[in-house]
Amino acid sequence: MMKYEMRTLLMVLVGLIVLPFALQAGGLTVTSAVDCVLLAVVGLGLNVLLGSTGLVSFGHGAWYGIGAYAVAIIQLRYFPDSVLAPILFAVLLVAVASVVIGLLVLRRRGVYFSLLTLAFSALCFTIAFRWTALTGGENGLGGIERRSLAGFSLDETFVFYTFIAIVGFIIAAFLLRLSRSPFGHVLVAIRENETRTKFLGYPVMSYKLIAFMVSATITGLAGGLSVLNHRIASAESLSVAFSGELLALVLIGGMRSYAGPIFGALFFVLFREYLSMVTENWLLYFGLVFILFILFSPSGLAGIGQRVWHMIRPPRDTAAAMAARNTPPVVGEFPAFLPQHQQDAIVISDVSKRFGGISAVSAVSTTISAHGVHALIGPNGAGKTSFFNLLSGMFAPDSGTIRFKGRELAGCAPNVICSAGIARSFQITNLFKGLTVRDNLMLSVLARHPSRFSLFKTVERVDQVQTETQELIGFLGVNGMENAIAEDLSYGGQRLVDMGLALGSAPAVLLLDEPLAGLAVAERDRIGKLIRALGDRIGVLLVEHDVDRVFAIADCITVMNQGEVLIEGTSEIVQHDERVREIYIGSGTEALAQTVRPSTVSDQVALQVEGIEAYYGKSHILSGISFAAHEGEVMAVLGRNGAGKSTLLKSLIGMARLGAGTVSIDGHTISTPVPETMARMGIAFVPQGRRLFPGLTVRDNLMLGRLRRDKAGSNAWSDEKIFSIFPRLRERYDVNAELLSGGEQQMVAIARALAGHVRVLLLDEPFEGLSPAMTEEVFNAILKLKGQVTILIVDHNLDLTLALSDTALVLDRGRISHQGPAMPLLKDLEFRRQKLWV
Amino acid sequence: MELVFIAEQVANGLLLGFYYLLIALGLSIIFSLGGIVNLAHGAFFAIGAYLMVTLTEHIGYGAAYIASPLLVAVLGMIVERLFLRRFYRSDPVLSLLFTFGLAMVIEQGLRMIYGASPLQFAIPAFARGQMILGDFIYPKYRLGMLGVASLALLGTWWLLNRTSFGKVVRAGINDPDMVRALGISLAPVLTAVCGLGIGLAGLAGALLAPITGVHPAMGHEILTAAFVVVVIGGLGSFWGVVIAALLVGVIRGLTSYFYPPASEASLYLLMLIILLIRPRGLMGERMERLE
Repeated sequence: MMKYEMRTLLMVLVGLIVLPFALQAGGLTVTSAVDCVLLAVVGLGLNVLLGSTGLVSFGHGAWYGIGAYAVAIIQLRYFPDSVLAPILFAVLLVAVASVVIGLLVLRRRGVYFSLLTLAFSALCFTIAFRWTALTGGENGLGGIERRSLAGFSLDETFVFYTFIAIVGFIIAAFLLRLSRSPFGHVLVAIRENETRTKFLGYPVMSYKLIAFMVSATITGLAGGLSVLNHRIASAESLSVAFSGELLALVLIGGMRSYAGPIFGALFFVLFREYLSMVTENWLLYFGLVFILFILFSPSGLAGIGQRVWHMIRPPRDTAAAMAARNTPPVVGEFPAFLPQHQQDAIVISDVSKRFGGISAVSAVSTTISAHGVHALIGPNGAGKTSFFNLLSGMFAPDSGTIRFKGRELAGCAPNVICSAGIARSFQITNLFKGLTVRDNLMLSVLARHPSRFSLFKTVERVDQVQTETQELIGFLGVNGMENAIAEDLSYGGQRLVDMGLALGSAPAVLLLDEPLAGLAVAERDRIGKLIRALGDRIGVLLVEHDVDRVFAIADCITVMNQGEVLIEGTSEIVQHDERVREIYIGSGTEALAQTVRPSTVSDQVALQVEGIEAYYGKSHILSGISFAAHEGEVMAVLGRNGAGKSTLLKSLIGMARLGAGTVSIDGHTISTPVPETMARMGIAFVPQGRRLFPGLTVRDNLMLGRLRRDKAGSNAWSDEKIFSIFPRLRERYDVNAELLSGGEQQMVAIARALAGHVRVLLLDEPFEGLSPAMTEEVFNAILKLKGQVTILIVDHNLDLTLALSDTALVLDRGRISHQGPAMPLLKDLEFRRQKLWV
Repeated sequence: MELVFIAEQVANGLLLGFYYLLIALGLSIIFSLGGIVNLAHGAFFAIGAYLMVTLTEHIGYGAAYIASPLLVAVLGMIVERLFLRRFYRSDPVLSLLFTFGLAMVIEQGLRMIYGASPLQFAIPAFARGQMILGDFIYPKYRLGMLGVASLALLGTWWLLNRTSFGKVVRAGINDPDMVRALGISLAPVLTAVCGLGIGLAGLAGALLAPITGVHPAMGHEILTAAFVVVVIGGLGSFWGVVIAALLVGVIRGLTSYFYPPASEASLYLLMLIILLIRPRGLMGERMERLE
């Protein structure tokens, strides 16, 4: 590995020696060579932010300009005979200023960060332009002298070039080392996934600030040296245009490659020097080249070079082959760094959190011990994930305490909680996607190591991190695939690495958020065993919808419902508790559900579904779903959380991508549904959470429902017909939809769906979050729709859903497990339990 | 007398605020609906001014005032169809870099066609002279422009708040997927919005041509100012942008009276203060993809 560094630096050295002669041979000057080296230095410095950390600074010209003015002013005013002192003081000034500015602008990310840096550069420009007394205004500051250094006169062209080349070489070597140091790896982690980096225990802000400072200081140094080259400091370099040119040269060179900015600088200088001999408008062509690169090769010259190289020598496709490999079904040896026999427990008392008006978690108290598997279950919206987020520091609780090892952790930042020994995995796989499996796990292990801030040693040299990473790889059983890119792994492999990331933090308590979701049966078995084995060594808190497996492996189960703890105890107790069963499958005693309604189903098919497969990312959500819904039929789609009910509705409207299968409606068969066409063909969607358009009135919401679903011969509902079912909406017609109560919003959402051409109505959780009175009203309204339109309904209130329905479709882990009339499921609670409970 | 001077600076500032507003409003709606930060907005402003100069020679002032913004709008729609469309679903930073490149090309293109030195462009004869209201004296042309700019803003407000097009735009900013699930395609709406936003910039360019002079880099300064306005006002908020534009205009007007060297710096200082107090701007909403 050291060979790579030596080879790269050797090439840089050769390049620096050849450059001035090559340029001279091409009819250019040594001054151009100096420009080229300095721009390469700036490019390398800028790339610490742009390429490594993923922060697009649109104001790096400001640091260049500040460095330039600082050298000029310090030399003119204080050290007229020196060159070293002005440079050193200028560098110091830029370093301090960049920390101050960094503290401000790094509070924002993404586009905001870019705009703030752009504004900062514009501010510096106006100051330089207007503060004539200090900066010479429009004329700039001339009369800078190169003087001499260590007895050599820098006025000698080649001596000056040598000086610049040495500085450039040192910077290049430093940044090469930085890119391979623990610090550099963490910057890449921040670029790939900032949230996860925080949850691994890294203080992300400090890393960004140091990166910002390093990047700005190097740029400022180059700016200062450029003053010596041209003997004048001007406001040009502070202009936004110059900052943009810097970004352009890095992008053209290739921002994901170490040498990219060097090539970019060379390209820029050659382009400028040669083209400006021919035309004044060289920037026009430069702009065009830049645009072409963004459109066709965002990876720049380096990317093109790599592609050409791969064409000549195709790489052996080992990484992809590795990614496809299956993990062995055994649990490896525990990594030595995992704690064991811990006595501490997380003591949570009276923790509450509200979002808007909704109480997500209310007064939850429980204890999670540092050994054994503790499971958290409950229906959708019970507050499990919110509770997890409070525990792991994603949000701060409104009240209550979380104590662990004598420390209060409520409201602490994620990295603090992780360092305290509580690490979490994520429900939606949350990896450093573009990095290898080994680098993913290494980043997790590194977070605990004292050298994590080191800029000067390579990661390979930190032995302890390497050993522990290897242990973790062994434990997870991913040996042989550690060099595969994380996002190329199968879904199961990604889930495993996600858990590995949390384990690398050496937690006393591991929080796992739905580790089994979306996995195939064999993988469930394997991960289930892994969790059980972990529970014998450390504490595991598990949120999981696969209740069969939870009952099989958990030592203790907490059931949550509507933000509160319903019951806590062993599997045996929880499994047979009436209340638990009731929240999952209903009681069969709901008053509303008692009256039996006649069915008016015709034998004509309204909607035909054939062999649907659906994926969420790489997770296989639905497989082989086929069914038919008839004219006027109300079909209940049932199943546990995560069974794929919502995804089924979303794939019918075209919001979820179909892997295979077809949807037929009115004689048209569609294999790639998109929302626009499905909606116009008569599939009307009432989404979970209603999704009305805030700021628009009820009238406007209905108008939008009608706007493009106005097909001839449609059975769209008029306002009058809508009011006949939802009389309340008549008086609420001109009220802003976001000001309505939850029940009224639900009515508007249904009305909006009915307002256009509608053949099949999809209702996703229509009773969610409604008061009993509102539930009754919405229930009666849907009842009135029965027979007029085909309805597919998903709701966790099984009593109500079944009472409305003619038929039922039960999903289990993405497949249809039962299909038949709704009546037996409604009436026979034992039958219902058999089909839907453990 | 002192008070009248101040009033005049405030009036000048308001006028300036209206230009910022014409530009910032376009930036803001393209940004909110498409997620694109259009750094080429200032370049379109410059195109508007150059078109105004060229067209006036052929078709006269009146027709040129109407034709140049329209042509710029059409150009904007073509650019959206050919390029911007590719960036809606990608990292907003790519569109930032792309539009920066586009601005560079447009600016250099103008330089190539028209030369680097400013073009002279006189105020039309019918709009010369002053309006006198007691102590208060104000150039007629500026008052006229204030009127045209207000009309354009009212028109935009009407379009966004009173027409079904505007309602689709507002719903689309909020929940594009749900809009599609109602059978409404957003692609033509996005094209129209880019045409509208960029057309407004063209209008500002045409109106400002006789006042600031016409030169290739004229888009730069006004663009940074417009971004400051958008950031202060808060992304995606019509009234936030209106208030911020007028605030920025007036503060600039006043500083350029009391302490001219700081007139540009005042703007960035104002932004800094407001962002420290309200990180999302005066009336901005949280937009996950932009943070």
